[in-house]
Amino acid sequence: MTNHFIDFKNSDVFLMIGSNSAENHPQAMKWIMKAKDKGAKLIVVDPRLTKSAGLADMHARLRPGTDIAYINGLINYIIENNLHFKDYVVNYTNASFLINPEYKFEDGVFSGLVEKDGIKSYDAKTWQYQMDGDPVKDGIREEAIKKDPTLQDPNCAFQLLKKHVSRYDLKTVSQVTGTPEEVLKKTYALFASTGKPDKAGNVIYAMGITQHTYGSQNCRALSVLQLLLGNIGIPGGGVNAQRGESNVQGSTDFAMLNHLLPGYNPMFYASKHKTLQDYMDKDVPKTSFWSNRGKFVVSMLKAWYGDKATKENEFGFNYVPKHDGKNRTHMGIFEEMSEGNIKGMIAWGQNPAVGGPSSFQGRKAMEKLDWLVAVDLFETETSAFWHRPEADPTKINTEVFFLPAAMSYEKEGTVTNSGRWLQFRYKAVDPPGEAKSDLWIADRLFKAVKKEYQSGGKYPDPIFNMVWNYDIPGEDEPNIDQVALEINGFEVGSNKALDSFGKLMDDGSTACGCWIHTGYWYVDKEANTVAAKRRMNKDKSGLGLFPQYGFAWPANRRIVYNRCSADPAGNPWNPQKPLIKWDALAGKWENADVPDFKAVEPAKEPGGQATPVTPDKTVSFLMQEEGRGRLFAVKGVNDGPLPEHYEPIESPVQNIISKQQTMPLATKFKGDFSKIADTGSDKYPYVGTTHRVIEHYQSGAITRNCPTLAEVSAHMFANISPKLARKIGVNTGDDVIVETIRGEITCKVAVSGVCVPLNVNGKEVEVIGMPWCFGYKGIATGASANDLTPSVGDPNTNIPEYKAFLCNIKKTGKH
Amino acid sequence: MSKGVLVDITRCMGCKACQVACKQWNDLPSSNPAFKDGLTSPPDMDGYTYTTVQIEVIEKDNDYTMRSGKRQCMHCLHPACASACFAKALQRDPKTGAVVYYPHLCVGCRYCMLACPFDIPKYEWDKQFPLIAKCQFCFDPNGKYDRLGHGLGPACVDTCPTGALKFGERDELLKEAWQRINRDPKYIKKVMGEKEAGGTSWLYISDVPFENFSFRPNLGTRPLPEYSHDFLKWTPVIAVGWGTLLTALYHYTKRREKIAAEKDKNVHM
Amino acid sequence: MSANKGLLQEIKEYNWKFTMTPARKVLFLLAGLGVVCMIFRLAVGLGMTTNLSDKWPWGLWIGFDVLTGVALAGGGYGTAIIVHVLHRGKYHAIARSAMLTSLLGYILVMAGLFMDIGQWFNFWRPFVSWGHASVLFEVFWCVSCYTTVQVLEFGEVVTEKVGTKYHAMFKKALPVLMIIGIIFPTLHQSSLGALYLIMVDKLYPLWWSPYLGLLFLMSSFFVGPAMICVETALAGRAFKHEVPIHVLRGLVRISGVFMILYLGLKFFDLVNRGVFNLIFKGNLEGNLFLLEVVLGVMIPIFIAFSGYSNTRKGLITFGVLVSGGLIFNRMNVVFTGMSAAIGGWYFPSIMEWAVSIGLVAIGALVYCFAAENFNVLDHHEEHHHNATA
Repeated sequence: MTNHFIDFKNSDVFLMIGSNSAENHPQAMKWIMKAKDKGAKLIVVDPRLTKSAGLADMHARLRPGTDIAYINGLINYIIENNLHFKDYVVNYTNASFLINPEYKFEDGVFSGLVEKDGIKSYDAKTWQYQMDGDPVKDGIREEAIKKDPTLQDPNCAFQLLKKHVSRYDLKTVSQVTGTPEEVLKKTYALFASTGKPDKAGNVIYAMGITQHTYGSQNCRALSVLQLLLGNIGIPGGGVNAQRGESNVQGSTDFAMLNHLLPGYNPMFYASKHKTLQDYMDKDVPKTSFWSNRGKFVVSMLKAWYGDKATKENEFGFNYVPKHDGKNRTHMGIFEEMSEGNIKGMIAWGQNPAVGGPSSFQGRKAMEKLDWLVAVDLFETETSAFWHRPEADPTKINTEVFFLPAAMSYEKEGTVTNSGRWLQFRYKAVDPPGEAKSDLWIADRLFKAVKKEYQSGGKYPDPIFNMVWNYDIPGEDEPNIDQVALEINGFEVGSNKALDSFGKLMDDGSTACGCWIHTGYWYVDKEANTVAAKRRMNKDKSGLGLFPQYGFAWPANRRIVYNRCSADPAGNPWNPQKPLIKWDALAGKWENADVPDFKAVEPAKEPGGQATPVTPDKTVSFLMQEEGRGRLFAVKGVNDGPLPEHYEPIESPVQNIISKQQTMPLATKFKGDFSKIADTGSDKYPYVGTTHRVIEHYQSGAITRNCPTLAEVSAHMFANISPKLARKIGVNTGDDVIVETIRGEITCKVAVSGVCVPLNVNGKEVEVIGMPWCFGYKGIATGASANDLTPSVGDPNTNIPEYKAFLCNIKKTGKH
Repeated sequence: MSKGVLVDITRCMGCKACQVACKQWNDLPSSNPAFKDGLTSPPDMDGYTYTTVQIEVIEKDNDYTMRSGKRQCMHCLHPACASACFAKALQRDPKTGAVVYYPHLCVGCRYCMLACPFDIPKYEWDKQFPLIAKCQFCFDPNGKYDRLGHGLGPACVDTCPTGALKFGERDELLKEAWQRINRDPKYIKKVMGEKEAGGTSWLYISDVPFENFSFRPNLGTRPLPEYSHDFLKWTPVIAVGWGTLLTALYHYTKRREKIAAEKDKNVHM
Repeated sequence: MSANKGLLQEIKEYNWKFTMTPARKVLFLLAGLGVVCMIFRLAVGLGMTTNLSDKWPWGLWIGFDVLTGVALAGGGYGTAIIVHVLHRGKYHAIARSAMLTSLLGYILVMAGLFMDIGQWFNFWRPFVSWGHASVLFEVFWCVSCYTTVQVLEFGEVVTEKVGTKYHAMFKKALPVLMIIGIIFPTLHQSSLGALYLIMVDKLYPLWWSPYLGLLFLMSSFFVGPAMICVETALAGRAFKHEVPIHVLRGLVRISGVFMILYLGLKFFDLVNRGVFNLIFKGNLEGNLFLLEVVLGVMIPIFIAFSGYSNTRKGLITFGVLVSGGLIFNRMNVVFTGMSAAIGGWYFPSIMEWAVSIGLVAIGALVYCFAAENFNVLDHHEEHHHNATA
């Protein structure tokens, strides 16, 4: 999230799209209700009548997978009606920047599409700015880019965007999404009303946006929308991802994704990073705050290898395993597993047997493993895959180890919420039986590996040279304070915790495990504890910033890009809600939040005076190389500079926006994972979509084992419209079979107005909604909806397209 | 003055946190309930479930909308169940307003279940010696499950994230309920429980008809115990009057019979 | 002690009789089955044995065994008024028989109740808890006391044969017992109806009425003679005991008068509450109400005051229609009238039927036994009558 949960109380209009906070983020709903008490309006855009939609002021139903059509339509409505926030757009976005005149968009594809070995990709050369100098050598310097502040040049980003979205008029959008035109108009008008200096529009999204083959472009569309309305960086604004788990933000921060190092630094690739210098040359930008990336990475290596990380050995660069460039995301791993190329797997707090796409095939792929280690609270479907209902255990040779793990309340540590707040939680109860904390398990696992290497092994240096100083004499649990200090960063030698990542160096004098967290383990003298443990309820601003409650990365900044909350002269757009303010008389910044720009120039020499930076010298988006928000994305996404609507890989209709039916770059897989239904298939005429229920957490591995939670949602079901129910002759509570080209499941049917047929360009499209939290283990069991979902992914992230696929539904033989 | 809870249907998101909190606070066992509609579960309160969140899909403006409402004992000011109980196993605590069940007094006749206008008391059907089950308002004179006695709100209210439930003095909540209704035209101009069944401790406000949450449309406002009282008040009168009349008739007819018999004798003689 | 010993001796030496017939064998079988089911119910609880649920907490046992059983047993107190209070001598012929039926009826009602309550070991609670705001409290007290009174009343009959030395004592107490024994049923017959007063929001308006208590009382009164008609017809066949038609006809006409009053009150009340039109709505409730009133009240009134009541056939028809109508009425209150409010439907389980039928079978067997051994039927009555005269 750019903002945070408590900040929701400052919003005037919410656009909740592809998210169901009432069901999945109930604490967010608490703050939305507080905003509503003050007159805020809630728009929910969702195919289903969700619990959030029930509480909304407006509900726009759209066909699963047509979010970009909806959002581009909204962007078009804003530009057509001149409702965008002009001063903001001109000053803080790249609207006025001129793009290469060779840039083209034809037949649904952008210029630069190339195909190699059957795999399509874009060469982004024509998407770049018109600028002086060499962007590769000198970086994308803002001052070198050609601009037209009047926004009239046909090659400026604004005009390109305007032209691009002009095809998304109300009628066309309605024909694509199935949303009635009057509903579109009503919701568009309401959200567009936030393009004023004193109004805050808040975009809340979640998996309904991301889990598509164009999930990244969905997010991009939302970002463009918020930039146009001047809603980024202001209280009550922002693009706010509701993360899927209480600590998933924390795990992403720590590089749970295969292409990242901790703190969102790119991974080391064997193909292009022979030396650390290669990385510095190719992956450290010349401009923006990311130009400090070298310091972050060197400090990270220093934290990992300590004394063994020296300038001479490139700080242990060669100790780090390099990415081989193959698809190492969930679907890539399971494809390789099914081919027998992956021998072992550690499923740590993960339940792919229920949560992965095409999970029926996924479970089958696991049979090819020699060994599987499952670390979890209960016996999950994954750890029990070898005796699952459809399998013959005598034919499975996988050796399965189960390590019982402690629950979050049975161990201590920080949890990072969607609002980037790190909050330390103490242990409430001891874990039962032999269950151990994750830290303990990781500690013993590493020590066991190290022991193995003592009897010899190929290249043991990375193991032996790894800093592993977490023992407390006489204690069973590893030293969590030491781990935290290492993450926070410290001065090598004195071992004193650092207060800011501004102090990190690339000469080996600092060590820091995750630069964005620097400061979270630094003692706040007033609170008398480290930042992450703070619980002070002071909120001087009244905006709910609570600067001394926990720690928000980066730098305890509660609202990022907050330079944009004030005009170029430094006066807050909304004087009622000032985040930062340039005091012209005193010649300095008055800040409620930690400024997301360089507000003071540190003293040149020790003991000298720091000087305030005047507003005209500040940068609005300091993480971007050109320093501006991108209406037109010259880099960052590999599938197009502007969001464009494509149909989901499995769609009941032809794309009417362009000739390009689906995302050209979508990732697809082989073998068992390759099955995809034809467009407009007669055999699978309905659109299926998956969702969560409040009662069950993710795959239900925990909650379906808790009696009180198993009781409040005990059955797998499919939601269908009354019309479809009449057609197939079922009533609520009957057993039905839902089938896709990949498999079928049997479950209960719920007939209500949760799903209704949508009029998509004259064709009636029925939507079937299914929760995906069930499996064959635990107290509450049921079929897994992911047995139905396709293995196709977004080209940027490889997130699977869980949210839109084709299926059929019929009554079971049973009566 | 007694306690109450204001339930605002327009604020409830159907998260069921109250339902789970109730089970946990009261040590109630969980079941594997029947499927209802994928929303409400268990389908209704039962012998081990004091409260359920009833989630309904409602037709509105050519489409549908969804509303959720927590259901539990309303803690009537004049509880029908307590008046129906011939063993005094249900009693209203005058200080808190909680209608409390005392299992050791219960005979198990289930008259309370029928008497309740809100269909709240449920029964432990599966047990050899079943008891009645219903919300106790987290008031427990024996202490173990007591919250109200310690100045806390009920477990359900204290866990509600959105403020759909609010605990306080009934009089004040009633005032607040009308304030909210008068401030926002979306509300139905009625506080459920203000007058129904003679008034209840739990009060509901809503923007959709209350019948969606299983409230009977024909709920009267007269305290239900009065219906029984209107009948029972005649008992002593009838007992004494009828007894006197019968005794008088007995002696009168007996005497008449005697005279008739004597006459008979005389005739025959 | 010696007296007790003497009594035991007397019981032992008394020439007890019990004739086995095929019909009685069937009754024994049903009674045995009922007892087994009752033991099973007490062992495993209500959930496994009945179709009762949170929606339908009261079923066959309360609806038929208690509500209907008490009404049908109402013949006892009605006859008691006529015979012992009003001293209408000609009805003496049926007084004892009616009383015995009533006693057995009440004992079975209590057995049924005992089956139905969950905490049956707590059955005595209401005696000490004093929950006097409850109509059920009145029902409970009255039924318990009345049963005791009836046992004592029947003691007078038993001691004619066994324990003869107590006979004089019982005989002396009889008038007082009779009067108490009329007051109690008057109260609880009405309060059984009044149980439903509190369900004003639930019971269908055709049946709910502020006069529910009075209507139940009146119906329990006029069903007495009807039951006697049925009973005597059955007993007449079994024991070759025929009650003279004129005796029965007189009772039936008294019944008829009460039925006219009952009908008048009912219609007055329906019109008064503005729900009269519901009868002709054509829905389930309306139709069943119509059926109940026409078959169970209107036609019997016609029979009572027509020449048809001068025949045995006519009397039996009257008896069957009125008794059936009353059962129908009580079932309508307990089930039909509640179904719309409660939702769904209830049908008793096999076990529930078995227990109810078993209880009736036990009652019939005990009646036969008593009739064979004590002066219950009329030829002894003649003697009795003479003796008093």
